[in-house]
Amino acid sequence: MKLELRGITKRFGSLVANDHIDLVIEPGEIHCLLGENGAGKSTMMNLIYGLLEPDEGEIFVDDKPLKCNSPSDAMAAGIGMVHQHFMLVPVFTVAENVMLGAEPVRNGGLLDLDAARKRVRQISERFGFDVDPDAVVETLPVGVQQRVEIIKALVRDARVLILDEPTAVLTPQETDELIEIMRQLKANGTSIVFITHKLREVRAVADRITVLRLGKIVGEADPSASEAELASMMVGRSVTLAVDKEPPKTGDVVLDVQGLTVVDERDQVVVDDVSFDVRAGEVLAIAGVQGNGQTEVTEAILGLQSKATGSVRLDGKELIGRSVRQVLRSGVGFVPEDRKVDGLVGDFSVADNLVLDLHDQPPFASGPIFKPAAVQSNATERIAEFDIRTGSAATPAKTLSGGNQQKVVIARELSRPLRLLIAAQPTRGLDVGSIEFVHKRIIAERDKGTAVLIVSTELDEVNALADRVLVMYRGKVVGIVPGDTDRDVLGLMMAGVPPQEADKQAEEHPTLIEHAEALLTKQDEDQK
Amino acid sequence: MRRTHKMRLVAGLAAVGLATAACGEPPGEGNGGSGSSDTDFVGCMVTDEGGPDDKSFNETSWKGLQDAAAEGISAKPRLAESNAASDYEPNVDQMVKADCGLIVTVGFLLADATKAAAEANPEEKFAIVDYLYTDKSGKPTPIDNVKPLVFNTHEAAFLAGYLAAAQTKTNKVATWGGAKIPTVTIFMDGFYDGVQHYNKTKNKNVQVLGWNKKTQDGQFVGNFNNSNKAKQISENLLNDGADIMMPVAGPIGEAAAVAAKEQGDVSIIWVDSDGYEALPKYKDIILTSVIKGMDVAVKNAAAETAEGNFSNEPFVGTLENKGVSLAPYHDFDSKVSDETKKEIDDLTQQIIAGDLKVESDAAF
Amino acid sequence: MTDQDKRPDTETRQDGDDSGAVTTTDQKPDAGKPAQDEPSIGQRFLRELTTGSTALTILSVVLALLIGAILIVVSDPDVHAAASYFFSRPGDTFAAMWTSASEAYAAMFSGAIIDFDEYTVGRALRPFADSLTYATPLIAAGLAVALAFRTGLLNIGAQGQLILGAILAGYIGFAIDLPPVVHVVVAMLAGFVGGAIWGGIAGFIKATRGAHEVIVTIMLNYIALFLLAYLLTTDPFQREGEDLPRSPFMLPTAELWRPIEGSRLNLGLVFALLAAVYTWWLLNRSTMGFRFKAVGFNPHAATTAGISVGRSYTTVMFICGGLAGIAGATQVMGTSLHLHGAIAEQLGFDAITVALLGRSSPIGTVLAAILFGALRAGATTMQAQTQTPIDIVLVVQALIVLFIAAPPLVRAVFRIKVRATRPVAPGSGGLA
Repeated sequence: MKLELRGITKRFGSLVANDHIDLVIEPGEIHCLLGENGAGKSTMMNLIYGLLEPDEGEIFVDDKPLKCNSPSDAMAAGIGMVHQHFMLVPVFTVAENVMLGAEPVRNGGLLDLDAARKRVRQISERFGFDVDPDAVVETLPVGVQQRVEIIKALVRDARVLILDEPTAVLTPQETDELIEIMRQLKANGTSIVFITHKLREVRAVADRITVLRLGKIVGEADPSASEAELASMMVGRSVTLAVDKEPPKTGDVVLDVQGLTVVDERDQVVVDDVSFDVRAGEVLAIAGVQGNGQTEVTEAILGLQSKATGSVRLDGKELIGRSVRQVLRSGVGFVPEDRKVDGLVGDFSVADNLVLDLHDQPPFASGPIFKPAAVQSNATERIAEFDIRTGSAATPAKTLSGGNQQKVVIARELSRPLRLLIAAQPTRGLDVGSIEFVHKRIIAERDKGTAVLIVSTELDEVNALADRVLVMYRGKVVGIVPGDTDRDVLGLMMAGVPPQEADKQAEEHPTLIEHAEALLTKQDEDQK
Repeated sequence: MRRTHKMRLVAGLAAVGLATAACGEPPGEGNGGSGSSDTDFVGCMVTDEGGPDDKSFNETSWKGLQDAAAEGISAKPRLAESNAASDYEPNVDQMVKADCGLIVTVGFLLADATKAAAEANPEEKFAIVDYLYTDKSGKPTPIDNVKPLVFNTHEAAFLAGYLAAAQTKTNKVATWGGAKIPTVTIFMDGFYDGVQHYNKTKNKNVQVLGWNKKTQDGQFVGNFNNSNKAKQISENLLNDGADIMMPVAGPIGEAAAVAAKEQGDVSIIWVDSDGYEALPKYKDIILTSVIKGMDVAVKNAAAETAEGNFSNEPFVGTLENKGVSLAPYHDFDSKVSDETKKEIDDLTQQIIAGDLKVESDAAF
Repeated sequence: MTDQDKRPDTETRQDGDDSGAVTTTDQKPDAGKPAQDEPSIGQRFLRELTTGSTALTILSVVLALLIGAILIVVSDPDVHAAASYFFSRPGDTFAAMWTSASEAYAAMFSGAIIDFDEYTVGRALRPFADSLTYATPLIAAGLAVALAFRTGLLNIGAQGQLILGAILAGYIGFAIDLPPVVHVVVAMLAGFVGGAIWGGIAGFIKATRGAHEVIVTIMLNYIALFLLAYLLTTDPFQREGEDLPRSPFMLPTAELWRPIEGSRLNLGLVFALLAAVYTWWLLNRSTMGFRFKAVGFNPHAATTAGISVGRSYTTVMFICGGLAGIAGATQVMGTSLHLHGAIAEQLGFDAITVALLGRSSPIGTVLAAILFGALRAGATTMQAQTQTPIDIVLVVQALIVLFIAAPPLVRAVFRIKVRATRPVAPGSGGLA
């Protein structure tokens, strides 16, 4: 099936999210849409999927105009979509989820679960999905849940499959399996639109690459293009992907975590007997697939987890049992994972957000009296120092771009003397320019002698920042390895494979991306 | 919520009225009004939050002024309903400004506002329903231009109590009140005494649930608007075995009828007005009603004032002056034995004659 | 989501090389805290409330008054009379309609603002004094609701808090002998404390047990109401020589001074306005108010910044209760001068409307309370002069709330254009 966009434009107020987009998805190709966050990729896909209506332009399916007002219209036209966030009912089985919304019925209106099971099995076998129709979705690993989403689309006869940032939640090995599936679907004639901002994946899997910037198509690229080329197309200027950093000058142990165990509200053990330390002047990165207890470790250190046991010492002083306020006061800076939820009060001005955890300290307060003037002058300074792009200090923080929001959080946390900086997913959702900036500030803080603890699910980031890497899996420490450990090894560790074993396996079975990478690197070198 | 409901009703009916009756004849020029009255005398009324549709004392009192108008005693009467306690004073003041011949205020809640206005406007005539000004020792302290209209409802309630005792099959009858105030407990006292009188003369042992005259203790909702609690109290009393119940609670007394219908085999004694007419939905279970003739009292006060015979002498409604009475038995007529009917008639005569003393702390 | 949330920001366009990066929903399939991605209904409502436009508020009031006019017209017997011969002489019907509505509203105006029939300026302005009298408790109670709103709490308990304030202030006012001035201050303080305790209980339960404040405050309203009803059956709270549920009058030393002869306007207004100034200061110039607002807008971020959400809830409800308690105190010490079962009227609930209408700002609340006070003062005059049912005003008040709470309806009626925004799949962001 051929999908074509002609002159599609979508505006949100004065912002043009999609500006006269012309795009053709040929039958049976894997077409990558590459662009930074905010470039307009998801808007475009939501337009195709009927979740948004274009202001101008038309969409054609096999040269016939598509009237698409809702996802069900899109599905009827053979367009399927797998969202970043899965749309599955956790307590239903795979078969139940697959038939949801298109329930096959037998005579008398009875649900025909058998028919659904059969369809799931058929598709699963055909593409080697290895999915049990009777498994309850919430018990399945994320990668398998994603396959359930794909099955959902295929059951509805999708001929074009849109995958929106599908690898964000996967380990490298799971990504590998996904790529395999994508190739099989392609062989079967299904077109795939693959949305991502990860350059490696694009190069490994794409037939064609379209690059979006600021709502416009800035060009097509060949999969053989180098990462630097793709990155500069995406950002509009040349970028340095690596972080310049000196070897660490480590000092004494600042943070000493021993036997930390965290139980969540549902009495599940989410952090299981975790021990590590972080020294002054080094970056320790906690790597792992999302949801393996990393977040809870940082929250426990900060005092946000009420059911934390074990010992967390900062310069020898116990932190467990202290309030968040006391922990912050003892010299801990915290950049939370979800800046919009935990880092900022979106409706507050940038200036107020810059003193969120300092608002009752001089010079911003004297006694119970708040000093807006001091807050204002602080804001002016920080905005200049951290190059925060905002209309004014009085602008509500929620109207800033993600990168600038993150700069506000980081500016705030770095504006007081720190012993320990904790930064969870410090660059998630940021554009390349902001990532560079944030990384530089973190390394600068390290070089000032602060102990730095990073949590990241992005191996690129882990590689770029970490002096040592702690990998977590199901709440436990898999191992602590040097910062320059091979991606494949880290990937296997993230799936729970112990370090030595991971080393061995990685050598024997390099992932497709690594493989492609190696080839392409060789190519690059050959060309030179 | 009841108010909003009423508004909707008013608006709805009005719309229907406008639509269906649009083809009539216009009035001739200069031929003033319908000729209902030529009098300059205007009867005015200020009600409390219950408003003129409370199926209780506000409504009955308001009917008095409407009757007065219908009989040509008063021109079209004026009404000021209060939405809240702080409306009392402005409402009374507004009526003073409006050149009323007589301003009737309803209920003890308006007593302070009425007194203040009466003292500030000695020329204006007032009547107040259900309230007698007294000093700390309980001695009446009349105000020159305020006529109290009060009712010894215990006399009629006594008859109701006697009737209930005669009619009960379970030997248990019940009463409960809205709030524990004298105008409520006076009914309950009379009812209680009536039952006791029956027990004494017939040597029976009919129990009264919900009120004990000696300890002045019983079942009360605490206000006149919580019908959920009213229903709950009613159900409890019925579950305890009562098969005849007298709610003394104005509009929320209806909850007793609802509970009675659900229970089955239970009858209700209504108060203030004839429940057979006030609650047509429940007329088949209304045994009788203790009528408190506020409408008559108000109408008479208006008539006296209109004739220039205003006096601040309290009007005390009794069986004798028919200010209070027992309503007809209606559907229950056949179920009340002739003997009982005769006994009640005799008791009425004895009370009027003073041979039988019926007493209540709340009596006037 | 509100429109504000939906609308990708335009400010980011000012950025140079950063400009493509419009805020996006992060890629976060976080099972641990599913509720955090979407603001709660309360938070969204709060946002909608505090960001709504003044124009919309005014339009709501105008629209409500217009509908009120229609109700006045259809409920007027004169209009019915003229309508009965509509087809013979339609002009009469329209004339009657016009007369009906215009006279009613004219009467309302003369009862609420200026009475042109009076001879002296002082007397002519007495209606406005009446409006301010009605507004006094609404200001203080409205602030109690508004301040809670700003902290993300729905304080439905102003009614109960007000009752407690009235009980304490009233008791001190009628039962305890104190010197002038001191008596007023002590009784007012008692009113504050009474309400504050009642509010604080709700806040404390919310903070420590997580019970929803709406349920807790509603229950506390009932307890307060029945407590008052009970107290009024006891001798200390009744007048000597009678058995009615009303207290003795305030001692003269505890009465709030009435500056205008013949008007009930009293010093309570000054207390209410002081409460408004305090609330403004609290919200805009105090560290505590900063914490309250942070908790109100985003409790997660507040927690992460070391602000104790629980303590904020308890403290703010304590203060809110105190403000409502002041409303109760002014009611008993300034207006009714004695305690009775309906001392709280519907003030605690009207206060919610007032806070809504005032967009939860102290200034807005004061203005909204004066509007409602004027409606109530005007209503009694309108009723007396034109025999228009006083309930019309309740309907108008209710309609105002409805229109404020349902801005899309108002936008639709006045054809205010809103960008067509479709809900997009959760988590996929507006554009990314």
